[in-house]
Amino acid sequence: MKRFVPPLLLVLLIFFPLLVQDSYYQHLMILVLMWVAIGTGWNVIAGYTGQVSFGDAAFFGTGAYTAGLFVHKLGLSAWWAMGFGGIAAMAVAFPFGWICFRLRGAYFALASLALNEVMRHIATIWEPLTGGMVGLLIMQSFVSKIPYYYIALGMAVVSVLSVQFIMASKWGYYFVSIREDQDAAESLGIDTHFYKMCSLNIAAFLTGTAGALYMNYMGFIDPEVVFSLHDISIMAILVGIVGGVGTLYGPVVGAFVMVAVHEFFRTGFFGLFKGLAALTGSPAVETAAKFIMEAHVLGFGVLVVIVILILPNGIVGDWSRITGLFVWTRQRKMPG
Amino acid sequence: MDVFLQTLVAGILKGGLYGLIGMGMSLIMGVMGIINLAHGQLMMVAMYITFVCFTYLGLDPYAALLITMPALFLLGALIQRYALNPLMEVESLLPENQVLMTVGIGMVLTEIARFIFSSDYKSVQTAYSSSSFFLGGISFSVALTAAFFIALLFTGFMFWFLLKTDLGRAIRATAQDKDAALLMGVDAKRITILTFGIGSALVAAAGTLLMPIYYLFPDIGSPFTRKAFVITILGGLGSTVGAIFGGLTLGLAEAFGATYIGMAFDDMIGLLIFILVLLFLPSGFKRLTKI
Amino acid sequence: MKGMKGTATWFMGCLVLAAWLIAGYPGQAAAADPLKVGVVLPLTGKLAKFGEIEQKSFLIAAEEINAAGGINGRPVQLIIEDTTGKPDVGRSAIEKLISKDQVLVVGGGYSSSVTWASVAVAQQRKVPFLVNTGSADNITEQGWEYIFRLNPPVSEYPQALHSFLKEKAQVKTVAILHENTLFGQSGSKEFMEQCKDFGLEVLMKEGYEAGAVDFKPLLVKVKAQDPDLVYMISYVMDAALLMRQAKELNLNPRLFVGGGAGFTLPEFQANAGEASEFVFSATLWTPSVPYPGAREYYEKFLDKYGTPTEYHGAEAYAAMYVIADALKRAATFTPEGVRAALAETDMMTVFGPVKFISYGKMTQQNKLPTFLVQWSQGKLETVWPKEVATAEPVYPFPRWDKR
Repeated sequence: MKRFVPPLLLVLLIFFPLLVQDSYYQHLMILVLMWVAIGTGWNVIAGYTGQVSFGDAAFFGTGAYTAGLFVHKLGLSAWWAMGFGGIAAMAVAFPFGWICFRLRGAYFALASLALNEVMRHIATIWEPLTGGMVGLLIMQSFVSKIPYYYIALGMAVVSVLSVQFIMASKWGYYFVSIREDQDAAESLGIDTHFYKMCSLNIAAFLTGTAGALYMNYMGFIDPEVVFSLHDISIMAILVGIVGGVGTLYGPVVGAFVMVAVHEFFRTGFFGLFKGLAALTGSPAVETAAKFIMEAHVLGFGVLVVIVILILPNGIVGDWSRITGLFVWTRQRKMPG
Repeated sequence: MDVFLQTLVAGILKGGLYGLIGMGMSLIMGVMGIINLAHGQLMMVAMYITFVCFTYLGLDPYAALLITMPALFLLGALIQRYALNPLMEVESLLPENQVLMTVGIGMVLTEIARFIFSSDYKSVQTAYSSSSFFLGGISFSVALTAAFFIALLFTGFMFWFLLKTDLGRAIRATAQDKDAALLMGVDAKRITILTFGIGSALVAAAGTLLMPIYYLFPDIGSPFTRKAFVITILGGLGSTVGAIFGGLTLGLAEAFGATYIGMAFDDMIGLLIFILVLLFLPSGFKRLTKI
Repeated sequence: MKGMKGTATWFMGCLVLAAWLIAGYPGQAAAADPLKVGVVLPLTGKLAKFGEIEQKSFLIAAEEINAAGGINGRPVQLIIEDTTGKPDVGRSAIEKLISKDQVLVVGGGYSSSVTWASVAVAQQRKVPFLVNTGSADNITEQGWEYIFRLNPPVSEYPQALHSFLKEKAQVKTVAILHENTLFGQSGSKEFMEQCKDFGLEVLMKEGYEAGAVDFKPLLVKVKAQDPDLVYMISYVMDAALLMRQAKELNLNPRLFVGGGAGFTLPEFQANAGEASEFVFSATLWTPSVPYPGAREYYEKFLDKYGTPTEYHGAEAYAAMYVIADALKRAATFTPEGVRAALAETDMMTVFGPVKFISYGKMTQQNKLPTFLVQWSQGKLETVWPKEVATAEPVYPFPRWDKR
């Protein structure tokens, strides 16, 4: 029965924009789909191959800037960057991995963090190329969100399917063996450096493509936004970890949860509290609403802390633990 | 020549403070192997405590050191005990959950600060905040000089502590090889709690000393966390003396970079040094010292 | 397998429920009576302080307008969205105002980069946007007919400085320091161009990352160059540190001038202390400007909220009145109708006269004079032009070591 969930989910997603006309929710879903791609990419290098990257924004931003620069410098449509953005990101990933894969664990993570910051600084300082803090502005191709939605959906589906394919192949085994014990893998004759590079480039490609989509969709980027350590790199990690590292659908669930929770808190439970306050006229509820909205990042942070404590393998990874909470009555009745 | 000397002085003085910031993280990373992304936020908490002490209790920041350091020691110990240690027991695919936890904690600390104090910039105006003295035409900021010497003091103290006391040696043992230490009867859990506490106390000192010459707002943590990494890696994990050297290196690199290349680049310089050291001298300056 | 089945069904049930909830969630019922005006401001985040001042000013103005009968009997309804100071959130905010709330016109626009990102949306969706604070020049240089700007662009901030330099002060060399944000980068670029036009030699122009701890390496370079004028574009805390460290280094040019923003705020004086004394700054508005209602607005704000307002607040207050005026003249209550009315605006506000004209590369930009202020004994005095001055300017800059 579990096998039917993904296809059913896909069907639901395909029909979503027809069911829900409100462009605000469509916008949220587009973000979710974008994060599915980013999270899946991160999962490849971090979840499956065990090299935790703290700097995925470097790839995201590269993809986004490629799209923007295509318009500003080459006069081409930014949609070309859907492919080229990923390639540009790979161009960044390649030398980075080549140089830094000799580092392990925490050191690699820090190096990726440094990469993130270096890219951000380059984008800010290299004004003639990137416009510096002015950022890049393009006119969006479509006013309606629906085309963007389907493109994002396509990108997300392709990401998940391609990763599924890769992980089912020999490469998948190599990746996991590197995660489990890199030295043992090396001694078994697996060229760990090569496969780590492959893994990183796959991640970079997916993330860069997502960045290109972002540029097309949002129409405006600047170094602070697309190279943001906090909003992109760390969010990618959260999507992966909350969803479930090393699982295929972990990032899918993670993307949905993180975007929903973030927005949920930002709008004070989607205006629920505000509505309640208006209904009851109670100043206490009003203050609670204001509090939640102002402290939305706080709520978010607390949630992250709690989730990590209770579900260290993410929602998909620890699924049995969650269902355990709901199915306990059934199990209680079973003998033994 | 004046420009060169002034830059040198600026770099060294700043470096002392940086060393103090990095020391705490170096200890934590050395002993527990976790990247504490909330390091800057811990400093922020100490700075807010300093602010409150100054504004409402009239305590000079130097006196407030006696409050912020124990307070942050406690906070750090609690964080390790209740949020981080439990994670070490849990079976998970990636050990990086701990890092994520520190991210969450950092977020929570920042937002609580924002909630209590709002996003307004706060500062502490002491008599010596802007005063400087001149030695041969080179200006020395009083507050920064004092911070430099206090940082040296702490370094010396930590050196002695880690080398000569039983607790210090237990900490070093845990840093070098946790399993062996356990076998030797070291209570690793207790050590991690104490270490996080000490690391937090050190960064608290840095924050308190920074207060008179800088300013404060809830988001102040992140850039300092990043600098702490660079310093930690430069100096070598777990090496407090290394941290001072790391701090000095970073301070000088930033100062000279700012003067001779351009101030917009000073962050970049730090990052480049960081990457270079990661690649070519991964154990940092520690190699050059015993501890 | 039983457990699996239960899981799957439960999961799907949740999905269906979620979809139903989302689809069926009641949207905001559009009331027929009030006229909806959207406002985008940073209410949380680093810029929250200014966002708040503008929000309060919008609210006071709207209250007054509604109390005086609104727009021909219909009240104005302000819908204020938080941009959190980030461009992408700003875009989502303005999108929500346009598509969900269906506002007739948008006001606000605080930070240059957020405003820049938001106006593109307004232009594309054909909803008029009256920018009242975002100052980067490019905002009104695109020829976008839906975008109007009340406040001067950052390149015009130093107008009063120019006339002051021409008539009073004699400077030959300039050093420009600016933060690396849109505001700093564009402002410094423009000022450098203007210096060239005035025959002033620009000895150095350097940007820095906002939030730096130590400006000494930068300032020591400035000192070595010995410029007559040091022009700085910074937000408040960097401004305070710059001045304090300039004092520490004993850096003594003939003039320290700030390019507005940080240098005119009370926080600057509070944090820089003595180091703020005799620093000039360009500004767009002070309570003593000769526009009707300016002083009253200042007093009203102080009365109601207990904290002083400053030029951002005045911009917001004036913007509300301009919007109300346009609504009154609009042929139809549609975005296009309001846009046409805005284009014909010709009125006086507490911020100055408002008329949207095209000049230079700009379109639909309001042209206003600016002023020069100077900190004197902890107070901000208007010193130029002479007609509005409340005090005499102190020039040249009294040396730090001689005070």
